[in-house]
Amino acid sequence: MSDLRVNLCGVELKNPVIPASGTFGFGREFNELFDISLLGAVATKGLTLLPRAGNPVPRIAESHGVILNAVGLQNPGVESFLENDLAWLRGKTRVIANVAGSTVSDYEKICARLDGKVDFLELNISCPNVKCGGMAFGVRPESIAEVTAAAKKNCPHTPLIVKLSPNVESIASNARAAEEAGADGISLVNTFTGLAIDIERRRPVLANNTGGVSGAGIKPIAVRMVYEAAKAVKIPVVGMGGITCAEDAIEFLMAGATAVQVGTQSFSDTHACLRILEGIDAWCDAHGVEKVSSLTGTLKCN
Amino acid sequence: MREVTATVLENVRIAEGVYSLTFAAEELPVNAGQFCMVGVNGFPLRRPIAICKSEGERYTVCYRVQGAGTKRLSQTYKPGEALSVLLPLGNGFSLEEGQRRVAVVGGGVGVFPLVAAIRQFAEEKQIYAYMGFRSRSSVCMEYDLRRGEKLVLATDDGSVGYHGTAVQAFMEDIEKVQPDAVLACGPTPMLRALKSATEGRGIPVYASLEERMGCGVGACLVCVCEKKDGTHARVCKDGPVFELGEVKL
Repeated sequence: MSDLRVNLCGVELKNPVIPASGTFGFGREFNELFDISLLGAVATKGLTLLPRAGNPVPRIAESHGVILNAVGLQNPGVESFLENDLAWLRGKTRVIANVAGSTVSDYEKICARLDGKVDFLELNISCPNVKCGGMAFGVRPESIAEVTAAAKKNCPHTPLIVKLSPNVESIASNARAAEEAGADGISLVNTFTGLAIDIERRRPVLANNTGGVSGAGIKPIAVRMVYEAAKAVKIPVVGMGGITCAEDAIEFLMAGATAVQVGTQSFSDTHACLRILEGIDAWCDAHGVEKVSSLTGTLKCN
Repeated sequence: MREVTATVLENVRIAEGVYSLTFAAEELPVNAGQFCMVGVNGFPLRRPIAICKSEGERYTVCYRVQGAGTKRLSQTYKPGEALSVLLPLGNGFSLEEGQRRVAVVGGGVGVFPLVAAIRQFAEEKQIYAYMGFRSRSSVCMEYDLRRGEKLVLATDDGSVGYHGTAVQAFMEDIEKVQPDAVLACGPTPMLRALKSATEGRGIPVYASLEERMGCGVGACLVCVCEKKDGTHARVCKDGPVFELGEVKL
């Protein structure tokens, strides 16, 4: 048994495995299948100030090794989360509240509302499936800096992790922009914008037309982006994108991630997070790694 | 609900393009109308399929070969193969004590969860079943569908039974049968026709809905349906059975 604890932005997690935002709700459903307190943290479904109904269906499509989703941030709103879910979830494990907005002011208000009440805020400026806000903030360094600085002013007591979009020109510049504007950490990658076509109907499969691509097929791109982002900043990085097994997770750690998030894999493999956690432990044991945290950023390029 | 590694016992074609898959897994209580998510190797999403029969550790589900995933399921999962399954999921059908005369209306693969409903309720309720198929070659599970008071088969081409849809067959009988409730499952156009045909008669229609799913357990909010009040309900967790009057189709 190796030491699986990691320090993320000054907060200790019992291990580095976190279910990714949007794939795990607020944890209640998966807790019917396994004890979610075994996880390092839970990243919540993206929260907005007011409830959101989300996009029309179909919201999901499948392609080789990947899925596309366009849920459109359906959520019950931050007040419902505070009233009904937060205390329960905090009793289980660390809580990463994923927050989204349409305007800078939305981000300021929701960060202020959650400051001091959750373990981390994850600033979702990379959702590709909403019409205004979302990814619009996460593409250019200038807008990343603006929304990050505004959010950080409103959450002085809670570490702020900025979730970056991969649909960008330079992930390194965007990572630096977040760091310089006051982010305590960054997480990446959110989904890649994609399109799946039903050729019989000659129409997109998704009601929203485009959707966010995730799953095993995006992993090498995500690892490369985590590597480039981690090299560009000093703040901790949470890596994700197509992780299906412990070996995938270890790649992200070596590329520079302090912790990892697992999303799409939980759909075909409900116990994926636990299996990955056990696999990381076994790999560390087999390789004489005493602390999983010692793997972070150890990649030596050829 | 559990995630289990089941063993395939049988996976055979029972009608044109339709397969019956029986697998062994831990015995769990199943309510008619509940479903399972079946994993297919190489595909990132599980396939949601209604549970047709469950007897002890034996479960049977029926599916239509629709795309690459169900094609793979039909071709490579032979007896003895391991199958990753999440079950039982969703709420299933429930009837109140006073609902004694029950019409069951289904079409296409919607017939299969209704097989489970007929098996569950045939003892204590009077079941009148109206089942729609494309043609004679797509009719299946007739033995199980006959467990109630009456079975009317309907085919689009009239090659067997009533020439027309299950809803039309049911509506011709409705005055005679005077059902206290209707259980239904089938394609959305069928459910729309059933909804408009029964509107204003004060008969509750409990319909099992179909939608593309992600997690199957209510976490990812992919498979929603719109309720009357404009909010979204999760088909996998809050359903798949809804009172038809409560949802927009």
